[in-house]
Formats: sequence, structure tokens, C-alpha cells
Amino acid sequence: MTSSAQRAEPLLSAFADETLPLEERSAALQRYRELPSGRERPGRYWRIDLDAIPVDELPFDGGAGSVRVECADDRVRIGGVPRGFGTTAARTSKFGALASAFANRYAFVEIPAGIEIEAPIQITYRAPEHATLFPYTCVHAERGARATIVERIEGGSGSFICGITEAILDENADLTIASLQNLPSDARLFSSRAALPGKDATLAWATADLGAALAVVQIDVELLASGADAQIVSLFFPQGAQHVDMRSTIDHRAGDATSFTMVKSAAVGRGQARYVGNIRIAAHAQGSDASLRDDALLLSPNAHIDSVPALEIAANDVKAYHGATVGALDQETLFYMTTRGLEREEAERMVTLGFFEPAIDRFPAQLRDELREALAAKVLLS
Amino acid sequence: MSDQGLQITGLHCGVEGNEILKGIDLRVEPGRVYALMGPNGSGKTTLALALAGHPSYAVTAGSVLLDGEDLLAMSPDKRAKAGVFLSFQYPAAIPGIKVANFLFAARQAVRPGDLTPAKFRALLLGKMESLGMDASFLGRYLNDGFSGGEKKRLEMLQMAVLAPRYAILDETDSGLDVDALKHIGESIAALRVSDEGKKTGLLVITHYPRILRYVRPDVVHVMLDGRIVKTGSADLAERVEREGYDVIRAESGAVA
Repeated sequence: MTSSAQRAEPLLSAFADETLPLEERSAALQRYRELPSGRERPGRYWRIDLDAIPVDELPFDGGAGSVRVECADDRVRIGGVPRGFGTTAARTSKFGALASAFANRYAFVEIPAGIEIEAPIQITYRAPEHATLFPYTCVHAERGARATIVERIEGGSGSFICGITEAILDENADLTIASLQNLPSDARLFSSRAALPGKDATLAWATADLGAALAVVQIDVELLASGADAQIVSLFFPQGAQHVDMRSTIDHRAGDATSFTMVKSAAVGRGQARYVGNIRIAAHAQGSDASLRDDALLLSPNAHIDSVPALEIAANDVKAYHGATVGALDQETLFYMTTRGLEREEAERMVTLGFFEPAIDRFPAQLRDELREALAAKVLLS
Repeated sequence: MSDQGLQITGLHCGVEGNEILKGIDLRVEPGRVYALMGPNGSGKTTLALALAGHPSYAVTAGSVLLDGEDLLAMSPDKRAKAGVFLSFQYPAAIPGIKVANFLFAARQAVRPGDLTPAKFRALLLGKMESLGMDASFLGRYLNDGFSGGEKKRLEMLQMAVLAPRYAILDETDSGLDVDALKHIGESIAALRVSDEGKKTGLLVITHYPRILRYVRPDVVHVMLDGRIVKTGSADLAERVEREGYDVIRAESGAVA
């Protein structure tokens, strides 16, 4: 590799801090250089090479962007490096490595043992126009703690955002996370989200990726203790020339843990999406219960969604369910609705929005109308 | 003679080039009940779907006038707005759309702005009570996971809410057990005497005469092989029940 191709390396020292010292960042950037994205190559539908993102051309600026953490309850510890920081799988992927190399805005939240926080804790990142932002969220819920986190990633036109969100749940903790982005149609987002739910802990993580020219999202959950429960919901809706690459991996590495994954996606225009849903159940993880439901709706002839579920089950005493559909709007359904006086376009709009409802129902209640409005705006444009 | 009525004249209709209806003449007048009986495959559902405007059912000849207007020139939603309602034999299940929202959207489409949401809700709850439906129906997704009887009841609720001028009930009695049939039959009878319902012209399509015990027809048509082969009074339905379609087929000389 020529030195001009490695313009990013010398910039790392400006990002180094106590949380992520230079050596760690250098090692992370090297991992980014070496690791394959593991994503599919560009083809007839998908047109972006995720192994050739021109990071050396990016306008790196450690001072760019902002983060705001809002929490009305002063028992919640904000700002200190949480226990478990960096222990999830979030940094292990190619883009997770890039995010940790340049991390420049932190949202660190620790919910003390046994405490229940009613109002959602709000984390909002914002990238300026044509700037880079490397957000790093780490949430640690101690034993028996209960809270809801709403994480939003906002950005100006042309922004490049590459971040990590990780959640560590101690025994019996109950954490709900909603991650939302509706970035401008020329922004790029790489988001590595990972969680470690402990014994009898409950994690509900709902993500909505509605914007950006390119959104590459990975969700990794490792179930390492019995009784852990993970409920993962993802919705995305590429339109225009948007590309979404979504991947979830649920790793059952302890027995008697449960997971539920629901993905609802639609594509319109030349919108492209790929979803890879992995469920792995280790040989010793007897009594695991895993389900994966993935539905994709294609709203125009050039829209495309690839859906690749992959179940690797090494244990023999488990419950595992997988169901997937990819298709267009059902013509008989639309006819039925038009016989009730609804115009065809209105029927299409209602069915499309209705398609997302089971996923919307799994977001925190205060976000549902906002999501419905954002989706309705996309349907109107389509 | 008034042009009030759903006037079907010489209707030919097919699917993918196969002619199913071979010249149907039938008239539905406001406030009256017509039974259209026939065995499976005689073309009853084809007639119902053709009247509702299903895109796969191509009308090749004939005309349908709705109170003097050309029904066949209208899109399905325009037909609904003009006052035609079809109760489906197999209603669509639509996950994600709640019954209450769907009914409100439909009522708004058919009668724009005639009721505030609050007044609509009152009307809806009243209709549901008279149909013996629990209010929890409103929060469920449309027909999603509904039993056969629940789906048919929801069709009747839609008819009650939309108060059409002409309603076609396509085998609303099929797939119901005795109790569900009695309930649906009584529901239709109750709608018949309501203020909005008593002017509705009703075309009851059925294989079996049993629903006609609850909704007594003024006229009975028997359909075989895409044609109406016999027309009579309510007694004709009883004859069909006693003697079966084969006797009528033999009398009419229709080719099996």
C-alpha cells in the first residue's frame, strides 16, 4: 500500500485519549485495513463495494460533531467509562474496528443496581454537513436495573458516520434500546451494535434505519448465561438509490436462553437491501429457544431485497423457528380494500404502513407515532 | 318504470379466456331480497366479483346499470362510492391495519366527512352491539387470525357501517357451524329492519338454502353453468333443498 493511500494513519494521534489510547487505535485501524467486510460483492442490484470505502479521502476532524445525553434521573452515572466497555463483539467487525480507531464522541451510561428509570434516557449524536463523526455509545445496566435508551444519529448532508453502540447487562437487568436514524439521502452510516445480556437479563433492541445513501448495520448479541432473553427488531426502507446492508447475529452460547428476531423491510425505486440473519446455537446450549422472522416488501420493479437467514444449530434439544417472505403487495388484498371505497393508492399506502406495524409495536410507545410519520413520508415520496 | 335498481343485462364474463357467465339477466331493486342459488362452479362468485370490479374477471358482453349509471365503467372504489358492497366469501387478512382504522377510512371514502371520529365511533359501537361483537374487535388487525365466523361477522359490520344501496353477499353462510349461521342470519335480518338497511337491495348468493330461513327472499334465482335457469318465489329455495340441483338441471335441459 502506498503512503498516499494511508493518509488516515498519521491522523490517529489527534484522536487518541485516555479512553482509547493511540496504540489501541492504531491496532484497530490496522484491523480495519486487514479485515474483509464479509459482505457480498457488488452485483446486478447492489452497487457499492464495502471493501473499498475510500476512508483515506475522508475529512477527518476529531472536533467534528456533537453528542447530547439527557437523563432526568441523577442516580444514572453519565460520562465515566462503564464496566464492560469494549467487551462486546462490536469492535470485531471491519467497520467496528474503524469506529473504535477514530471514536471522537462518547455517550457512556451506567444504571446502578436495582434502579428503575421511567423516562427514556436520550442520546443524540449530530454530524455537521460533509463531516465525519465516530460515535461510541456504551451502556451498562447493573444487576436488576431497568431502563430505556433512545439513541438517535443525526447528520448533515454528505456526512460520514461510523459508530459503535454496545450494551452490557448484568444479572436480571432489563434494558430497552431504540436506535433511530433518518439521515439525509447522501449521508453514509456504518453502525456496529452489540450486546451481552447476563443471566436472566432481558434485552429489547429495536432499530430503525430509514435514511442515508448507504447504511451498513451489524447487530451482534452473545447469550452467555442461562435465562438471558434478547428481542431484536429491525426495520428499514431504502428508496431512491439508497442501499442498506443489515446483519444480525444471535449467538446462543449458554443453555436455556431465548432470542427473538423480527425484521421488516421494504424497498422502492431503486432501493437495495441485503439482510443476513444468523442464529448460532452452540453444542452445549441445550434448551435454547430462538426465532427469526424476516419479511421484505418490494414496491417497485427495480427495488431489491436479498434475505439470507442462516441457522447453525449444534445442540439437539432446542427450539428454533425461522420464517421469511419476500414479495410485492398482495393484489387480492388491494382489491378487497378498493371494494370498500379506498382508492388504489390509498390502499397501497395503508398496506405498506401496516406491514411495518408489528415492528413499530415493539418500539417504546413514545416513538411509535414519530416512526409512523417518518414511514408515511417515505411512502408518499415513493 | 324507475331506473332505480341494479340492472344486469346479457352479462358475459370470463377469466383468462374461459367464459364462465354466459348471459346473465338479473335485476336487484332497493329494499328487496334476491337469492341466487346454484351448485359449486355454476358462476355465482364470478358474478359477484365481476360486479365488484375484480381485474381478473373480464366482462366480454352485456351491461350493468346502477340506478341508470354504467357500473362497468367504474373502478372498484367508485363502485363502492356509488353504493355497491360485496361481502367476500374469503375476505382478505391484512396484518398491521386495525379494524377501527380500516372501517373509518372506508366510511370516509364512501361518505366523505359525514361523521366526526367521535360520532363515527358511536355509530360503530352501536352497530357492533347489534351484531353481538365485542369492542375488542376494533383493536385487532383486519381478519388476521380471525375464525371463519369472525370474518363473516366483520363483513356484516362493514356492510352495516357503509350502508350500501346494493349488497351482494357471496356465500356469507359457507363454512359456518349451526350457531354461527344462526347468528349471521339474525344479524342480516336485523340490518334489514334498520333505518339505513331497509332500503338496501340484497343479492344473497348461496349454495344451501339454510340462510334463507333467516333472510326470506322475495325472488329466488337458480344458476347452472353460467346461466340463470329458473326464477321463482321463496318456495323455489325449498324445492332446491328437497329435490337438489339435479332435478332442476334435468328440467331446464342445461348441459351438465
